[in-house]
Amino acid sequence: MPGILVISKGTELLRVPTENLVYIKADGNYCHVHTRFGKEQMVSFQLGQIEDMIEDQLGKDGINFIRLGRGLIVNTDFVYFIDITRQCLVLSDCVSCFFDGEDLKASRDVLIKLKAYIDATLNNNGI
Amino acid sequence: MEYKNKEIRDDEIRIIGLNSVSAPKASEAGRGSRRGWLTSLVSLVIVADIGLACFFFWPKKGEPGDVEGVFEQSLGQSPATVAASGRNLFGTPVTDTPYTEKIDTVINDVRLSLYGPQNATPVLYVGNPEEQIHRGALAFQAADIRADNKEILGAFVLKGQPLAWGLSKKGYCAIIDGKVTVGVSENSPLFEEATEKDGYFFRQYPLVDNGILVENEPKNKTMRKALCDREGEIFVAVSETDESFHDFAQALVDLGVDNAIYLVGSHTSFGWAVRRDGTRETFGSDDHRTSYKNESYIIWM
Repeated sequence: MPGILVISKGTELLRVPTENLVYIKADGNYCHVHTRFGKEQMVSFQLGQIEDMIEDQLGKDGINFIRLGRGLIVNTDFVYFIDITRQCLVLSDCVSCFFDGEDLKASRDVLIKLKAYIDATLNNNGI
Repeated sequence: MEYKNKEIRDDEIRIIGLNSVSAPKASEAGRGSRRGWLTSLVSLVIVADIGLACFFFWPKKGEPGDVEGVFEQSLGQSPATVAASGRNLFGTPVTDTPYTEKIDTVINDVRLSLYGPQNATPVLYVGNPEEQIHRGALAFQAADIRADNKEILGAFVLKGQPLAWGLSKKGYCAIIDGKVTVGVSENSPLFEEATEKDGYFFRQYPLVDNGILVENEPKNKTMRKALCDREGEIFVAVSETDESFHDFAQALVDLGVDNAIYLVGSHTSFGWAVRRDGTRETFGSDDHRTSYKNESYIIWM
């Protein structure tokens, strides 16, 4: 089922088109799935398990998703602004701001690597 | 679904679909250039990792006060090195007797003493610690006490028995089957697991959550204590000077601590540490403790 992430366990099932999946935040043994239109859903999986689901279900289409440390998976399509000095990461579709670092700050090292990754993708695409 | 349990540190990133891209099917052979830059990118990230590691952790000559170097030298040995040398992570010979290693260090002008329990398993204890004071190798007060009714503040489990259920602070420590888990969460299933497995659980202020500083409301300065998890190594950090929550937590972050919660602080909170040679260091004052029947301790014995 390409392009749709299905998180299923017990009596619950969450189905999210990946184009609307903005980020997933760890909360102990649970995760909060945040989507483009403000929906948030808690699921009883650890972040590493969600990472495995993305890899298994989306295959190479999962390349848009990056694990940032232990606490966060983000969809790089929504990375709007990175400020390493201020340790700031903003996720937005330029209409709504979904994540401005107030809720969970990524570490400085992670931001350095995320920026390097996005810079490298631009260079390799000849942009 | 089988969980692959791939490790990741808080200073690392991982491109999730990369394995799928780097091993494309024959029909995807035309995407070689895309695979090529991805391979280069992975190399770049690895090189960046090594560079950062060297920058932050390479011992700097001529900087005797360099705290990261001191901590790395003492705690950063590989298990193979430890086994070969017959010495523990603090660099002292291995023994079976419970005791406490201590490292004094300075992080960002914050003087810290790090207490690492050796050959000891932690438990929680409630009440007057007189019976335990000659048994435990390391002890600190754990959960806070409510000012109004002197009951334990926040959820608390003592050897499988829940004694309190409140959620006043998001930080938690669970001790289940002898394994210590320090974390930050409003809803931790480890509370229930502790009740099912004769474990222990208490709540305190969160200080560091996955390598990120957690701000707390109290702004006063006093002697601070924290239960820390650094790459699986559990130890207690104590500030030697009066510090704010923020400065103390920032020092722990800069120390490389992954997760940390507060332990009862101030100059009067009671505790002790027994060194390898049997000498006992006590903290705080024991003048008041018998008046609090719900005073709790984390004791390694």
